[in-house]
Amino acid sequence: MTERDELDMLVAEFVLGTLPASERDYVESRRREDPEVEALIQQWEERLGRLADEIEPVQPSTALFAKIEKALDRVESTPREVIETSSVVALRNQLNRWRWSTAIASAAALVLVAILALQPQPEPQTQSFVAVFQHNDQQPAFLLTVDLKEQRLNIRPVTAEPRPGKSYQLWIKADELGPNPRSVGVLGNDFALDEGALRSYDPALLKEATFGISVEPEGGSPTGQPTGPAIHGYLYPTDRNNQ
Amino acid sequence: MFSLQREHRKVINRIIRDPMKPDPHQPHNNNANHSPPSPEVAGDRLSGLILRVAQRDREAFALLYQDTAAKLLGTALRILRDRGWADDVIQESYIKIWQKADQFQPGRSSPITWLVSIARNTAIDELRKHPTGRTTTGEELDEMAGKQATAQEQLEDQQSVNHLNHCIDQLEKDRRDMVRLAYLNGWSREELANHFDQQVNTVKTWLHRALKQIKRCLEP
Repeated sequence: MTERDELDMLVAEFVLGTLPASERDYVESRRREDPEVEALIQQWEERLGRLADEIEPVQPSTALFAKIEKALDRVESTPREVIETSSVVALRNQLNRWRWSTAIASAAALVLVAILALQPQPEPQTQSFVAVFQHNDQQPAFLLTVDLKEQRLNIRPVTAEPRPGKSYQLWIKADELGPNPRSVGVLGNDFALDEGALRSYDPALLKEATFGISVEPEGGSPTGQPTGPAIHGYLYPTDRNNQ
Repeated sequence: MFSLQREHRKVINRIIRDPMKPDPHQPHNNNANHSPPSPEVAGDRLSGLILRVAQRDREAFALLYQDTAAKLLGTALRILRDRGWADDVIQESYIKIWQKADQFQPGRSSPITWLVSIARNTAIDELRKHPTGRTTTGEELDEMAGKQATAQEQLEDQQSVNHLNHCIDQLEKDRRDMVRLAYLNGWSREELANHFDQQVNTVKTWLHRALKQIKRCLEP
């Protein structure tokens, strides 16, 4: 498959809805920067749009529109446009780098395979979470486990190997932390990382955050932001007993 | 399960009606005019409203909501299967519609597809981020088979041939079902893999083949 075909299939699956969260985020970020991606999305939306013909309308409660109008008033009263126009370029550039535009061709390689337990409780009791970082469809590169109660992390390589003259660096990104990812730490030669490195973060934030691992010059990123190709993942609960 | 279709449609419709149907005591807030205008006229009207919303016209926003909220709520509810959750997603969707209206291009997108896409994307993003919030059930399959038949009967505009349905009908049965479960019910690759007893990678390959086949079939 050519790169263009791959992009077309990535977009097709985005519109179909079957992409994992990490790849959906990737397509969403690219559509904002690349008119070609936006055009491909529109084409697929038009192709598949008639599938929605059969969706039965459901009348909303009358209260819903009042809620929406209130929310809109709030949105309108915040000076969103000022922020957008002043810092939009810088913001996009940083976002771009974080989303590893270098890894476009292997976008499909960002698959995050977490076999998820479908639990009826929205809040399972467990405090133990895991994120899988993949290099390709078959093999996980890293496993990150986080005990949210103790705020202890453990990272271990699965297929990732030490790279001479390079270091792996773990990043965290969340809306609350601003537009840029923050460094959690640089992995040592044995892939070790201070298990308390996440202690300063709120557990609720950790649950929603995106984690990334990038390849950096030895000793870590010189700029304080990811500079090399990266892979990322989210935390998922490990406990399946609550099903 | 899928071949039951027509025979079981009534039963299935009854089963699925409960969470999906509006409260009958709830006043309807759609237009008094119950005979729907032709899709083209309706489309022009919606496009006009979206363009006005892009000019920050709150009255147009209210009219757009009146005309489309039921469709968008139906879309989100089918994916999330929880009324409160779907309501939240609809709220977020209309805020996005307000903010993105200036990006709507009438020549390139049909207005209802553009609006439904915003609700679908919001619902699917929610679902992928909180996959434990919903359970999938076998009933969804029955529902899907049942609704397929009713939808054909209910097609408002019989003259407008739905090429997509024709193309989807040409897919192998499992792939057809996968495409529909993904698009309409928000099933992930993993959920499809579990249900169809296949590897996730196999599902991905099948989906890609199906999508390519649909694309070819729709080409003029």
